[in-house]
Amino acid sequence: MERHDVVVVGAGLAGQRAALAAVEAGLDVGVISKLHPLRSHSGAAQGGINAAISADDSVDAHIYDTVKGSDYLGDQDAIEYFCREAGPTVVEMEHFGTIFTRAPDGSLAQRPFGGAGFPRTVYAADRTGLALLQGLWERLGGERFTLYEEWELARVLTRDGRAQGVVALDRRTGELHGVAAKATVIATGGAGRVYGRTTNAHSCTGDGVAAAYRAGAFLKDMEFVQFHPTALLEGGILVTEGARGEGGILKNASGERFMSRYAPKVLELASRDVVARAIMTEIQQGRGFQGPYGPYVHLELMHLGREKIESRLQEICDLCRSFAGIDPVTQPIPIAPGQHYMMGGVGTNIQGETNVPGLFAAGEAACVSIHGANRLGGNSLMETLVFGKSAGVAAAAYAARAAPASVTAADVDPVAASYRAWFDRKDGEDPSTLRAELQQTMDRHVNIFRTATDLAEGLQKVRAIRERYAKVRVVDPSKVFNLNLADAIETGHLIDLAEVIIVGALARTESRGAHYRTDYPKRDDAQWMKHTLAQSTPSGPALSYAPVGFTRWEPKERVY
Amino acid sequence: MPSDTVPVAFDVYRYQPGRDAAPRYQRYTLDLSPHTPVLTGLLRIRDEVDPSLGLRYSCRSAICGSCAMRINSKSRLACETPVGEELQRHGRIVVEPMANQPVVRDLVVDQAPFWQEYRGIEPHLRVDPRRPMPEGKPNPMTPAEVDRFHDTPRCIACAACYSACPAVADDPAFPGPMALAKLYRFVVDPRDAARQDRLVRIQTEGLWLCLRCHLCTEACPKDVRPSERIRDLKEMAIAAQGATEHGSRHAVGFKTNLRDAGVLNEMKLVRQTYGLLGMLPQLPHGLKIWRKKPEVARRPHPIEGREELEGIYRALDSEDGK
Repeated sequence: MERHDVVVVGAGLAGQRAALAAVEAGLDVGVISKLHPLRSHSGAAQGGINAAISADDSVDAHIYDTVKGSDYLGDQDAIEYFCREAGPTVVEMEHFGTIFTRAPDGSLAQRPFGGAGFPRTVYAADRTGLALLQGLWERLGGERFTLYEEWELARVLTRDGRAQGVVALDRRTGELHGVAAKATVIATGGAGRVYGRTTNAHSCTGDGVAAAYRAGAFLKDMEFVQFHPTALLEGGILVTEGARGEGGILKNASGERFMSRYAPKVLELASRDVVARAIMTEIQQGRGFQGPYGPYVHLELMHLGREKIESRLQEICDLCRSFAGIDPVTQPIPIAPGQHYMMGGVGTNIQGETNVPGLFAAGEAACVSIHGANRLGGNSLMETLVFGKSAGVAAAAYAARAAPASVTAADVDPVAASYRAWFDRKDGEDPSTLRAELQQTMDRHVNIFRTATDLAEGLQKVRAIRERYAKVRVVDPSKVFNLNLADAIETGHLIDLAEVIIVGALARTESRGAHYRTDYPKRDDAQWMKHTLAQSTPSGPALSYAPVGFTRWEPKERVY
Repeated sequence: MPSDTVPVAFDVYRYQPGRDAAPRYQRYTLDLSPHTPVLTGLLRIRDEVDPSLGLRYSCRSAICGSCAMRINSKSRLACETPVGEELQRHGRIVVEPMANQPVVRDLVVDQAPFWQEYRGIEPHLRVDPRRPMPEGKPNPMTPAEVDRFHDTPRCIACAACYSACPAVADDPAFPGPMALAKLYRFVVDPRDAARQDRLVRIQTEGLWLCLRCHLCTEACPKDVRPSERIRDLKEMAIAAQGATEHGSRHAVGFKTNLRDAGVLNEMKLVRQTYGLLGMLPQLPHGLKIWRKKPEVARRPHPIEGREELEGIYRALDSEDGK
């Protein structure tokens, strides 16, 4: 049994920032990650990080844009805190060593992004996530905490009504370990792999969110799933919103710049839910292109010129050339929306506290909520750092006054027994088969446009998959780097989260932000200005609702 | 789905030390369209044929650095290597784990030595307490200063360069291309106060063990060009401290030696590199060469047109001074 004051699960930006805060508080910190921290999906974020740091911009403008972008489901007190912390956070990351793109006068360059009234997105070419991840990792250093590299989260341990650490699988040895802690921080990122067509890495399986849910934490607003407007047609690889920020335009098969019909004022720089729906509408009404990988529209950069494209969008150039066989300097990019981000997650307050004492969450795994029903591009990188820090500070403070964890090595046994059953089974299905069917189900039934019939059918299918999962089988007998076992663990997490997403979506009979019900196309503030909370019960997720935090901004109709 | 698929045979390295007596190659054949990445093929093998295949992967878009492996002997990212090009060039697809790192299982290697080298160059800003960072403000940095990093910030730590490097294979004292490219990134950082110390330290800690073969630059999927940055580090190290090591003395000796006659005086170069006393241990080796090639001991005649050579040196020196 390993023991620490604080254990952080996940070592992307949110996890590392939480760990840094706890280390700086002088505590003994353990960090568990199923990837080397530098391979975390934070590093795949491209476009930038929002902070109102220009003299012409204002924190209030950033708050307003975020509130409006959230379709008034974001908690305004949390958003105010977030936007105020954004400026100092960018400065801190610059001091940590992050290499940002600069303006000619030596200040931080900022580019326009969707749903923002001002060019407020600080960036490092089109690899901002990588630049931040390197800067933070190099600052954090490897010496001041214990890293459990390539350990897979299996369970959050609770006893005496509080979280007391985790059980995790060391992929290298196949051993299960208990890691006892006074405070546990979940920072495992999103669960994009619930879907087949997603910009997310294969590792984004929502492990921490599912484990927190099983440990009694409320999941908040899980039905709000962001589809990024521009994912490469084949495979769904992300093409940054920065491409439109730099002046990229969208065209349908007739060569029409169709965004003028959906967002006449800001066109391609409307918020993501609006642009993604516009693209899907074009496609559904027959104005898209048809190709072997499905229907699509064009993202054009050609008019920006080679120099700008190759300097500001260097990674995009490489991605298009390697993965789509096209050169964005001379050719349009075939794109269609793809799952990108979970606005929902483990419900927390500004300090990252969940309803389970001793359990904290931050980053995409958490839902504070600042994104509400739709996240603005550039706000998630900032969220990882602002709330990673606040969760780390709060977890450290909690650990400093908490009694030692009372869990023991015996608490690992039930997990070990359930995994042994997967190995011992003589027949049963491979987890990857179930995962593939789950992903097809979500792609088909819980996408950008939703209806009650479709969602109900999707829920039925997911529950059927859950029943089959009860007999999942691991055929690889090896203990060393057994990905078959990892698949089985992760598929279980994905099934739980898919169910919560659908149950929340089915109940919410309105359209708000990224949740669009064609059978209820209007936002319904009277009935639905509230957060969905899902709690795990033996018969599935039980829903309840919580009010939205308001300060200064009255809900209005959202027009771009 | 497109119908232009072809049968693609993968010969995949399979080995679990401690369990298997020896590595073997297992053949899997799939129908794939030629632009399918090798990684997609391997994941289909895992999902449809053999869930026991071990490999690392995550983002599948060439940014997480997980899936570096050797494909037809070249260290590269599986996610951005199309099967068609490999088949065309080699007629088959042999997939093996990266070199220079012990195998954990199949295509998974133990990267601890690689990460250790990275940590060893102190990859964090070292700030002079007498020149603290601006309170509440970012450090100013001009676009020209950002350009000095070249493409080193693009490094995704995939270790393809480390796998491709013969100097890593040859000498454990060599930190490897990635660590040195990373060191360069800190040396040119205007916020870092330890430039001199970093350059002096690396002279004795492996900088001159680079063989200048450029295989790292060829292997790098992000165009970081480690060998060019290592060359820059060598120049900066000599400028910072003078030529203190055999490697740097050799480089400087080569330059001055050639300048004198237009052709190398090899005896003199040995002396320039090792010093008079340092030549003694080289004596047996020198004698062996002398027996086969007695002309090495003769002082070469200066070539004709040495003025032109002077001109070239002058031009190069002024280029350096820029």
